[in-house]
Formats: sequence, structure tokens, C-alpha cells
Amino acid sequence: MKKMEITTRTFAMTAAIGSILIIATLILNTIWTSKQTVSATEEAVSSVSSFYLEAMADRRAKTITNLISNNFDQMEKALIIFEDERIETQDDLRDLIGKTKSLLSLSRFALVDEDNIVYTQYTTYTGGSRHEFLSKEVMDEHVISTVYLYGSSKQLCLAFQTPGLKVMGKPFKACFVQIDIKDIVDLLAFDDEGRTHFAIYSKNGGNLSDTDLGPVIGEKNILNVTKGIVPDDEWERFRDDFANEAAGNLMLSSAEGGAETLSYVPIEGTGWEMVVLIRESVIQDQIQAVSEKNLMFSRYQILFALIAMIVFAGVLLLQLRAISRNRLEAERENSRTFRSMANTDSMTGDRNKHAYSEFEIFTNLRIRENEVANLAVIICDINGLKYVNDTLGHAAGDKLIKDASAMICECFTHGSVFRIGGDEFAVILQGKGYDTREKDIEDFNRRVEENLKNGGVVISLGHSALTKDDDQLRDVFERADQMMYERKKELKAMGAKTRD
Amino acid sequence: MKEKRRKILLVVLVPAAALAVAVCLCIFPFAGPAKDDGKDILTAEGTGGSEELSGAGADAAVRGAVDFDHELDSYVPLKDHYNFYFTYKTVHPWWDAVALGMEEAQRQFLDKGITVTYEYMAPNAASAADQTERLFKAEEGNYDVIGVDVADEQVISPLLDKMVDDGYKVMTFSSSDAANGCKRIAYVGNTHNYEDGAELTEALCEKLGYKGKVAILVGSFGAPCHEDRAQGAKDTIDKYPDMEIVATEYDMDSVHLAYELTKQILKDHPDLAGIVCCNMSNPVGAARAVTELKSSAVIVGMDHDREALHYLNDGVIYCLGVQDCYSIGFHTIQVAVKIADGNLPGELFEEKTNVTTTVIYQKDAALMLELLYGDAS
Repeated sequence: MKKMEITTRTFAMTAAIGSILIIATLILNTIWTSKQTVSATEEAVSSVSSFYLEAMADRRAKTITNLISNNFDQMEKALIIFEDERIETQDDLRDLIGKTKSLLSLSRFALVDEDNIVYTQYTTYTGGSRHEFLSKEVMDEHVISTVYLYGSSKQLCLAFQTPGLKVMGKPFKACFVQIDIKDIVDLLAFDDEGRTHFAIYSKNGGNLSDTDLGPVIGEKNILNVTKGIVPDDEWERFRDDFANEAAGNLMLSSAEGGAETLSYVPIEGTGWEMVVLIRESVIQDQIQAVSEKNLMFSRYQILFALIAMIVFAGVLLLQLRAISRNRLEAERENSRTFRSMANTDSMTGDRNKHAYSEFEIFTNLRIRENEVANLAVIICDINGLKYVNDTLGHAAGDKLIKDASAMICECFTHGSVFRIGGDEFAVILQGKGYDTREKDIEDFNRRVEENLKNGGVVISLGHSALTKDDDQLRDVFERADQMMYERKKELKAMGAKTRD
Repeated sequence: MKEKRRKILLVVLVPAAALAVAVCLCIFPFAGPAKDDGKDILTAEGTGGSEELSGAGADAAVRGAVDFDHELDSYVPLKDHYNFYFTYKTVHPWWDAVALGMEEAQRQFLDKGITVTYEYMAPNAASAADQTERLFKAEEGNYDVIGVDVADEQVISPLLDKMVDDGYKVMTFSSSDAANGCKRIAYVGNTHNYEDGAELTEALCEKLGYKGKVAILVGSFGAPCHEDRAQGAKDTIDKYPDMEIVATEYDMDSVHLAYELTKQILKDHPDLAGIVCCNMSNPVGAARAVTELKSSAVIVGMDHDREALHYLNDGVIYCLGVQDCYSIGFHTIQVAVKIADGNLPGELFEEKTNVTTTVIYQKDAALMLELLYGDAS
């Protein structure tokens, strides 16, 4: 099975696709989570505001109910005092009323005789027209009524029958207290930094407490104000709830998209409705902190992922770059090696004929461009190589070649040495090598003649320098080659072995 | 190589850039629910606000019709306890309003450590005889001052003179003073009943174009305030030749009687153009009858009965003359204290402390209901 090769391209594609998938997943997850959070927050706000308000309204209603109950209890206790005391004059009665009020903390406590004359601590007056419960022929046992005093002061009147009570020899039929609704409001108010509003309303929507129910309803009649604001069916339900002393909730939507929730609860026995209002924004503010925290975590999550992605991308990038560089370097090295192998004579380490051919082509171009000034070619030919190969073997022959190469390279340190044949070398001299060629050649030839005597390598050398008339390197080569042959003859005459 | 590197860079940078864009899109739209900056305005608010502004300027007279803002003057009472007896014409909400002013003065005196006790009594129906009896009984009580809202000046005034001669400190208050020359020490209340009747009737005449038949419901027979208003009404109508008084009836301060009388008048005079009502009860009775019989008769009347104000709001009653009962009550106690200390009219108080009457119309009804009863609905 063919092994799949992982290339850089594959790696990059994988990284890219992986990144995109991760990003897409992250984005979708974030969008979904955020939407869920917002939706859940809104739901929570509605639920909480309704629940919160219902509880608040109920608590306040119960406070009033308890107040009423306490007052009735206190009045019953007061009656016991009156029944036990001997009261003969109006002054006695007034004194006792005053003491009873203080003792039992009763507001405006009064007794009513059978002629509807009302006795308070300081005043005695005909009360038939002033107190509605006295206008009835038969009074209920317990009476809870709202009194609208001239001057818009409103009071809660709690009265009950006192059959059998005789004071100053006269039968008394009732006692009552009147509690200013403002005092009730003070009892219900607490500092919540204006987050909620409450008010007490009569059945027809009239504001009894004179408290502000928010910027829209204010102190106005709640039924009149809400009529144009909420849907008709909801308003009718609201109106009917008020008329029937029922509890409920009402949502008010503002033109600017905000919302207010009001919750109403009947106050037992009074015909009143306790209404509490909160702007949903208040609840939202409370919950906002929580949802903002969640959103902040999401943002951090995203930010972290982004940073992680960037870091990951950066690391990938660096790694890819390193990989690329390494491969590039490796290829260069290979290229150099191959090039080197292609242009190097494996035996001597000198450049080979191929390299000389490349050099020749390159130099010819330069000669044509007149870019070459000082250039000399030296042709060296090993004397007696064949003889050595034939008599001493190829190993000896190879050694001879190597020695020749070494000698050439040693003498022409600043030249480029090419092995262009089995026993033939070319040396290109330029620059310093060109300048010192005369001496180097002389030294070389001297050494050759010495070698001739001591059995060392004998090399025939010919040389030529580039002239203005030369069109190509070959011209120089041939002159050098020619000289080399002359020298070979000369060396042969001296006793050097030759091919022949 | 360079090409390869470029491709690799592209492949990595593009997703990174896409991620950055996605992050921006994700973060900013989800900055949390918009905060409610508390400035939400429902559609009704602007209307209410502008009405209030324009109403405040135009309704100053209405707001001033009844003055609930009183403080005791700088007079320092000589005693720390006073006991008074007050009797008035009949058990009726008008005098209940006066009582509230009295109670406020009483409360303020109490804050200063001065106890003011009093009896505030009346029969169920106006009766000079009943009032006489009450005054006799009051003489037997230990009262610093005796105050009377005179039921019948002819009957009561001599009695008051005798009481003063016998050393009692006597004052009159609220709706009716004694006869001119009576020895009562001072009066606190309406001193312009005749003018009130005339003003109301003048408004009616103008409304009717100075022609048509008019009936007068007086109130209690002999009650000075009612009689004076009725006289003012008569004298006003007499000015206009095309106007005629076709009926003058006494309802004795009874809403029901006023209702019955009005029905009868309307039956007798189906073309009745207007009705002048001289007290607090008869505008209510008249309005009920006019509504029931679907008459177009224009009603003018007195005072601040809640039902009457609703009829005014609905246009059944044309105008009402509202008296400042609260101020009457407050000043009555204040003056009574000074009288009890032996003071006579002069620098400390006037012989007749006048209280205003303000004529209000349909446009003023809602505000008056709000001011007096806390609700216009």
C-alpha cells in the first residue's frame, strides 16, 4: 500500500481547515449561548418582577389588614375599660377616652350614642352626616369604610357596634377610630431607593394614598390613565378586578420599549386595592449584573480562544517556516552536492572536464564581452602514466595521478585546477595566480626536472595567456597545449617516460 | 519557496482574521440588555404634563376658593383650657366642613399646650325652636363662649341679646348672622349672602340671554343666609323685563324635598329656563329632577356638595358658589378663644370676619372635586 506522504501543503490545509472549524464552532456556540442568556434573562425579569411585586403587594396589603385587625382588637379592649369605669359626666368621658387612646395607641377614638352624637377626647358633635356608617338605619357589626374628608384628606374608618354599653346613663351604639391614610402610607413606605412605587386605590381607581405610582400613572386615577395604554381586553380585566376586589398583574409598555409591571392585591374588607409598580428595568438592573457576568465570561472565553488561536497559528507558522527553511537548506545542500559531484574528479578532488566545459562556456561569454583581461591557461600532462599503469598497475597509476594533481595544486595555489583527461590537467590562472604565473611555472618546471632525476612525477607543462586576438578560451588552450607538447619532447629528451 | 511561504501565510492568517471579525460581531451585539435609564415615557404622559401646566395658571381662583393652609395668629391665650358650645342650623355636610376647620384650629392650639373642647350640635332639621332650646341648655353649661349659626334671626336674635345681657359671651358663625343690631360679640362667616345670590343669578340670566322663566329654591324658612341669597336672586331677575320668577319654594335643606319640589315646578312649568338654588342641598335635588325629567333648565346654586360638583362637571349644573367652610371653622375657634379671654372686636379680630365665596363653572369642577375630595372620577 502506498504510504501517503504528508506534505507542507497538506499540513497547512489541515491547519487552516481545523482553525476554521474551531472558529465556526466557537462563533455558533457563542451566538447560541448569548441568545439563550438574553432570552432567559428576559424571562427571568418578567417572572421575577411579577413574583417580586406580588409578594410586595401582598405584604403591604397584609400590613393594612393586620392594622385593621389590631385596631378592632384594641377597640374591644377599650370597651372593656369603658364598661368597667364609672363615667358620670362628659368630662369624665373625655378623660377616659384620652387615657384609652394613649393606652391602646388608638387614632381618633370615639364613641357614638344612640342619638348619633359623637364623643371624642375633646369634642362632642352631631355625627349623622359626617359618618356614613351612622346614616344607615342598621349598622353592621363591623364597619370598614373610607372617609373622604373635605379637603381631600382620606381616612379609614373602623367602627363596630357596642350593644349594651351605657355611659352617663345613656346607651351607646358604636365606637370607631379613624386612621389617616397618610399614616398608613408611612407605615408601608420603606427606602428602596425609588425602585418600586405603591399606591392604594378605591374601586373606581381613585388614588387614596396620594402616593406617586411612577412617572406615568403618578397620582391620577389609575383606571383612567391606563385605559389608553394597555390593550382593551386587558384594561377591562383590570377594571373588573378592581370592581370585584381581585388580584392580578398588569404590564405596561412604554413607547421607548421599556416595561413596567404592576401588581395589585385587594385589601380585605376595605374595598381598596394595593398596587405596587416596578419598572422592569429595575429588575433587569439587578439581573443585569448576573447576565453581564455571564456575558463577560463568554467574552473572556472568546478572547482566550482568539489568543490561543493566534498563538497556535503563530507557532504553526514558525514551524512551517522552519520546516521550509530546513527543506530549502537540505535541497540546497543536495544541489550543491550533486553539483559538486557532477563537477569534481573523484580521484584527485580537482574539478573535472565537465566543470572545465562549464567554465569554458562561461569564460567565452565573458571574453566576447571583453570582461576578461588577465587570464592564462596552463596545460599539464603526466609523463609515463601508461607505462606505470602497464608496469606497476593501475593503483600505482592512480597514485601517480594524485601526486601530479597534488603537485599542480601546490604550485598553482591561486589557480583553478581541472583534470580534463586521464593524465591531463588544465589550470586557469587569474588574478594573483596570473600575476605570479611566470615564477610558478618556473618553479614547477624546476621541480619536474628534479623529479625526473629522483623518480618523482614528471609533468609536461604548457601555458599561454589570453590575448586581444583570442575569441575564445580554446585559442589559449591550444597554444598552451602546443607548448605542452614541446615541453613533453624536451622532457623526453631528458629521459622522461612517455606514452610511446 | 517564496510562493509556498506566501500560501502558507495566507492559509493561516485568513482564518485568524475571520476569527477576529467573528469575535467583534459576537461581543458587541451582546453587551447585555439595554439599561433602562428611567426616561421611558408612555404616550399619555406628555398630555398630562401640559394640561397640568396650563391648568395651574388658569385655576388659581379655584385653588384659592378654599384655604386649607391656616396657622394660628400670634395671639397668646390667657388660659390653657377653653370650653365652647356651638349650635348650627341642621345636621348637614356643609357644617361638617366647618367642623374640620374647627378641628384644625383645635389641633394647633393643642400643639401649643392649650386644650380647646367644644360641643358642636344641631338638630336633624332646621328649627328655630330647637335652637332656642339648645341655647337655654347651653346657658346651664360651663362654656366660655356660646356660638350660634342663626336658624331664624327674628326668633334667635332677641335670645342672643338676653344671653349677652346675662353675661354670656355669645358669637355667631358660619352661614347666618343675627339681625343687625344684635348684641352678639362677633360673627365669623359669610357676610355677603345677598351678593352671592345676586352673582349666581346674574350668571344665570346671562346664560339664558336675559329671558325666560326662573324658579328659586330658598332653603330653610327664615334662615338669614338662604333668605338673603333668595332676595339677591329676586332683585337680579327683576332687572330684566323678559325674565319671570314662576316659583319660590322652601326645601328646608333637604335634598329629597328639593328634588320633589323641582319635579313639581318642572311639571307646572315645562318651559322653565332656570333654577336658582340658595343652599348646598337644593342644587343636588334640583339636578336630580332635571336629569330625570330631561329638562334643559339651567341650574345655579351654592356650595360644594360632591354630587353637585359631579353635576357641575357633567354640565347639568351651570355654576356653584363655593364658600370657604374650612376657613370659617378655623377662624371661629380662633375668635372664640379671644372672646373667651374677654376681648372685644378691634385689633385682635373684626366684628364680622368675612369669608369668601368663589363661583366656579364646569371647567373648574374636576379640580374642585380633586381639591375637596381627592378624586375627580
